[in-house]
Amino acid sequence: MFLRQEVAPAMIRGVWMSIRLIVPSAVFGLAIGIITGTLRVYGHSVLRAIANVYVTFFRGFPLLVQLYLWYFGLARFGIYFSPYTAAVIGFSLCSGAYHSEYIRGALLSIKDGQMLGAQSLGFSRTQALVSIILPQAVRRALPGCGNELIYLIKYSSLAYMVTCIELTGEAKILASLYFKYMEMFLIAGAIYLLLVSIATWLLNNAEDWLAVPGFEPPRR
Amino acid sequence: MEQTPVLKVEDIRKRFGEKEILKGVSLEINRGDIKAIIGPSGGGKSTLLHCINFLTLFDAGRVFLNGEEIDHTDRRRLYAYRQKVGMIFQDFNLFDHLSALQNVQIGLVRVKKIPKARARERAVAELERVGLKEHMDKYPAELSGGQKQRVSIARALAMDPEVMLLDEPTSALDPELVGEVHAVIKRLAAGGMTMVLVTHEIAFAGSLAREILFMDEGVILEKGPPQEILYGAKRERTREFCDKIIHFHHKDNG
Amino acid sequence: MHLSISAGMKAVLEGLPYIMGGVWVTLVVVAGALAMGLLLGTFLAIAHVYGNRALRTLTGIYVWFFRGVPLLVLLFLFYFGLLGALHLDLSPFFVSIVVLGLISSAYQSEIFRGAILSIPEGQLKAARAIGMSDFQAVVYIILPQAFRLSIPAWTNEYTIIMKNSAVTYALGVAEIMARANHVAARTYQHFWLYLLAGFIFLGLTSAGTRCLGLLQKKVAIKGYAR
Repeated sequence: MFLRQEVAPAMIRGVWMSIRLIVPSAVFGLAIGIITGTLRVYGHSVLRAIANVYVTFFRGFPLLVQLYLWYFGLARFGIYFSPYTAAVIGFSLCSGAYHSEYIRGALLSIKDGQMLGAQSLGFSRTQALVSIILPQAVRRALPGCGNELIYLIKYSSLAYMVTCIELTGEAKILASLYFKYMEMFLIAGAIYLLLVSIATWLLNNAEDWLAVPGFEPPRR
Repeated sequence: MEQTPVLKVEDIRKRFGEKEILKGVSLEINRGDIKAIIGPSGGGKSTLLHCINFLTLFDAGRVFLNGEEIDHTDRRRLYAYRQKVGMIFQDFNLFDHLSALQNVQIGLVRVKKIPKARARERAVAELERVGLKEHMDKYPAELSGGQKQRVSIARALAMDPEVMLLDEPTSALDPELVGEVHAVIKRLAAGGMTMVLVTHEIAFAGSLAREILFMDEGVILEKGPPQEILYGAKRERTREFCDKIIHFHHKDNG
Repeated sequence: MHLSISAGMKAVLEGLPYIMGGVWVTLVVVAGALAMGLLLGTFLAIAHVYGNRALRTLTGIYVWFFRGVPLLVLLFLFYFGLLGALHLDLSPFFVSIVVLGLISSAYQSEIFRGAILSIPEGQLKAARAIGMSDFQAVVYIILPQAFRLSIPAWTNEYTIIMKNSAVTYALGVAEIMARANHVAARTYQHFWLYLLAGFIFLGLTSAGTRCLGLLQKKVAIKGYAR
């Protein structure tokens, strides 16, 4: 009874909030990663430098520090974000920096000949990047970016630290309310495990689906 | 009647750091003509072809297509020019994530903006011309070197080039695969395609080209009809090179 | 209380000695967790590669669990849940090292497992051929090679733990982040103090990366590169 009336609704609310944090952050993060990763390899030297600085800081600062900067830090300058917005901004920018590393590595691993081949057919550099180079790079970067997405699911729990009540937060509240710490955190942990396992399964499928001969996913 | 050459290259110079790779190379080719460039490795042959296509930017010199000078800073003009000049690379440069068919199709769709269905028809036809219709759904990783090079020829042909530049098209191939690529190039020649061919296959060059250019240390040292260059070159350097390579070739075949 | 940079700098300078004191706490937490992860991770990796099916399943579940549950949830679970259930009274500091160590052991076991598997089979055969037991072969022949191969991935693991250690602030461990937060609560200069904390972490990760790079060079064997 207690489970159905008290725990289940709160946990479902929490999971839903976690998903609302994870999905947009994953999408923005990937987009940021692809753009900055590309700029770091093919961009103008000024843009390249800016992108490098961005990656250094957002990979170098702990995510918790970044979240606190967005939520508590900027408030001193009159910039107020809701806990949810601060969390999504923090997650997107941080995971974007990590994605950018994988994209950059993948771009660098693609032979010059692919660009030459495209240019010899009359492709512009941008066209060649979009339709020849990036589709290959994204396939190569997929295992790394996939790992980063898994990390994002787990790091979404830090949103609790900026008072955005998601799965971890709901579990904490329930635990303190009913003095059932062990049970509530085990349930929350199990739900995270489930989310991570589903994401892993989806990513493996995505890799198989995107696989073409010569770009097979590494077998795990 | 004096005709305008399809492609004319004037006094191209290129240096990489200290080393001058091209020391003023000129060349012109008329419609339907075939020229072969031979010479030792590192003599600038490949660089010359890359420069002609502006894949490598040169320090000085001019390039004309049908009498009109190409200004590479005019991007739109450059992309149009490159479609008219088909390029075949030593190591194929097929797009690794695309099937043979998609490799031929993508230039038509993205560059020429031809609707997908019509581009596909054309791509299939080009693959059929090089004898690869039944392999059109295979990816580069599943094709032999000879097949890859034939796909790359089909890909260039699909853009309706007026002249083709072939940069050692068979040098990356196992010996038993060279024949199929040579056969395709011969058929192109028979169809009247204008070509500039860089090669180490002297016999092939001799049977195909009307003129052979010997290039060494960044200049064209000597040029003339195949018989003259291969067996009676005036320059010591040319004779030495041809003797060595012909000797090697005979030994290799016998 | 100003918004100006000078007020921020003042708070940073005043808080600096106190916050730098947290560096030691952070370093001990990270070193403890890494050492624990190294020890446990090595055993897990060996168990997974050379163990029977039951052992392999068990280590698999262990790795799956500690790689799948978020750090914050594990910290809460161990500190509030497990300690309570077992009627134990341990400090947040100690629990933090254990939890970070357990998580790291799961990741480190994956690193070592990959390294062990990448060592050619001939090495084990040759060791057996000169009369070594399987245990000796693993300890004297396989592991020294596997550890060398693991250094780059291990360096990465160090930077991850270093950054994750900031989360132990949630249990009240007086590390860098916690101390920055104390000073911020007093001076209202959150932005500058968090920025300072970020730079300290950045310094610690780059210094550690450099040290491990030197280690890698030191233990490198000529002609043994991959």
